Amino acid sequence: MLTPSASQQQPRFGSRISDAWTEISVVMRKVYLDHSATTPIDSRVLEAMLPYLTEKFGNASSVHMFGQEARAAVDKARRQVASLVGARANEVVFTSGGTEANNLAIRGICEVAKAHGRHVITSAIEHPSVRGVVDEIEKEGWEITRLPVYDNGIVRIDDLRAAIRSDTILISVMTANNEIGTNQPIAEIGALVVEEREHGHRHLCFHTDAVQAAGRLPIDVQALGCDLLSLSAHKIYAPKGTGALFIRRGVRLAPQQVGGHQERERRAGTESVANIVAFGTAAELAKKEMDQRNDHTRRLRDRFETEVEDRIPDIVFNGDREQRLPHLSNISFRFIEGEGLLIHLDMQGVAVSTGSACSSGTLEPSPVIRALGRNEELARGAIRFSFGKDSTDEDVDYAVTALLRAVESLRELSPLSRKSLVAN
Amino acid sequence: MTLSYSDIFSDHLANPRNAGELADADVVAEETNPVCGDRLRLSLRIRDGRIDAARFLAYGCPPTLACGSAIAEMIQGTTIHEATKLTKNEIVAAVGGLPSRKQHAASLAIETLRAAIIKHASEDGE
Ligand SMILES: Cc1ncc(COP(=O)(O)O)c(C=O)c1O
Repeated sequence: MLTPSASQQQPRFGSRISDAWTEISVVMRKVYLDHSATTPIDSRVLEAMLPYLTEKFGNASSVHMFGQEARAAVDKARRQVASLVGARANEVVFTSGGTEANNLAIRGICEVAKAHGRHVITSAIEHPSVRGVVDEIEKEGWEITRLPVYDNGIVRIDDLRAAIRSDTILISVMTANNEIGTNQPIAEIGALVVEEREHGHRHLCFHTDAVQAAGRLPIDVQALGCDLLSLSAHKIYAPKGTGALFIRRGVRLAPQQVGGHQERERRAGTESVANIVAFGTAAELAKKEMDQRNDHTRRLRDRFETEVEDRIPDIVFNGDREQRLPHLSNISFRFIEGEGLLIHLDMQGVAVSTGSACSSGTLEPSPVIRALGRNEELARGAIRFSFGKDSTDEDVDYAVTALLRAVESLRELSPLSRKSLVAN
Repeated sequence: MTLSYSDIFSDHLANPRNAGELADADVVAEETNPVCGDRLRLSLRIRDGRIDAARFLAYGCPPTLACGSAIAEMIQGTTIHEATKLTKNEIVAAVGGLPSRKQHAASLAIETLRAAIIKHASEDGE
């Protein structure tokens, strides 16, 4: 009689939750609060790219008019993307995304500069696409310094200053973090690098991953003093699979894709014209609408946080609450685990994300949350909510209600929680 | 509907069976997966060699919650003898299958059940 139905007639402890579920399925909304993972394509962006998927299908390297049409479109997009970050058009190299831009930047510089030193400085909270490359070159014999971030999720310039050695050839610190949204002091880092160079440290380069920051923080590569800066199209309402690397004029780096003359020999391969056109249009819109989008998402995010704080006890906000991107909130819910919370929210139509993963009985709590000095329970209970330009007040209301319900039901189940009730 | 989990799995999450703790439990056992920190607590009321009531509490990834719900449901009403024969694979089947990297959740459920039975037997014998 070991069957799952054995106790079907039993009154269920979870019946209250079950009623709530029936209710939800009637009024279920879809609320997307994962804009840091990816964004929907803006209809204006789609409209701009469509002709390049249909009648304007030319290869931008072809000499004939089909090719010229594509070339002109790619050139225009290059100017639009350059303008978003204050670069010159010929300093922009299109790639297959932020990951490739980060790989190209780090590997490209290391390959060229290895004669001058084999030390790289980065932060403890980089995106996997930086962390992964840095881990790889470490296995190849490079020395790596990973700057700590303290409980506010921000690197300190004094730590960086102390870490720089005569054989340091690259500093790679992100502009803003993807999990907790904290803004890093990159203008100060840029100034420090300029100062170092003036004192004879000629081979020191500064790369920043601005994938999350672009379109949300005003970025000017001249003012920042960075040599390389990574971008990704799909975080600014354009399609996935396209990105760019800003490479300051005069900076030499070894191409990682070879076998073609495209992108001025820095990235071989036929340009994805339609995606690049979309990226250009999205960049232009992001620049034009930046303040408006930021005001909107900040208002929604702040209201969301106020409501959550008022209604859910035992939570911890992760990352500095001032120095961070306006659209993002990262919260640890005590006594419960993030993946369960994510699924409970998903069952109610609310899409969020968590940085932790539990597999094969080994837990990989988010390295970012751990870097803040949080214990394992808090690292496992961290959830990222990221708002977008098209998020609404109704989305906030619905998400707060769904969250309240999910947290309560998981806490009722948790042996760590004083909310776990005694039932008979 | 969610991730790659089955409907029965999602149902265990949405409507956990036998969740909570028994005020008049005869035995309570809690086991922790030492690697990932997942925890399961089972509290059992035992009458004449039969698990008269079973409740669970769980902390951890969704498979741990679902397996806790499944095992509490499956053992309630069975004899202790039957319960000792329950296997990990039966738990996996009861939640509609688990990817191989999540099988440890079913192992934790079985370990907690065995710990409860052993604890009860040793307390009984005293
Ligand atoms: C900070 C950061 N860097 C890099 C990437 C990778 O970009 P892509 O998805 O275009 O490869 C992401 C996207 O998740 C990101 O958030």
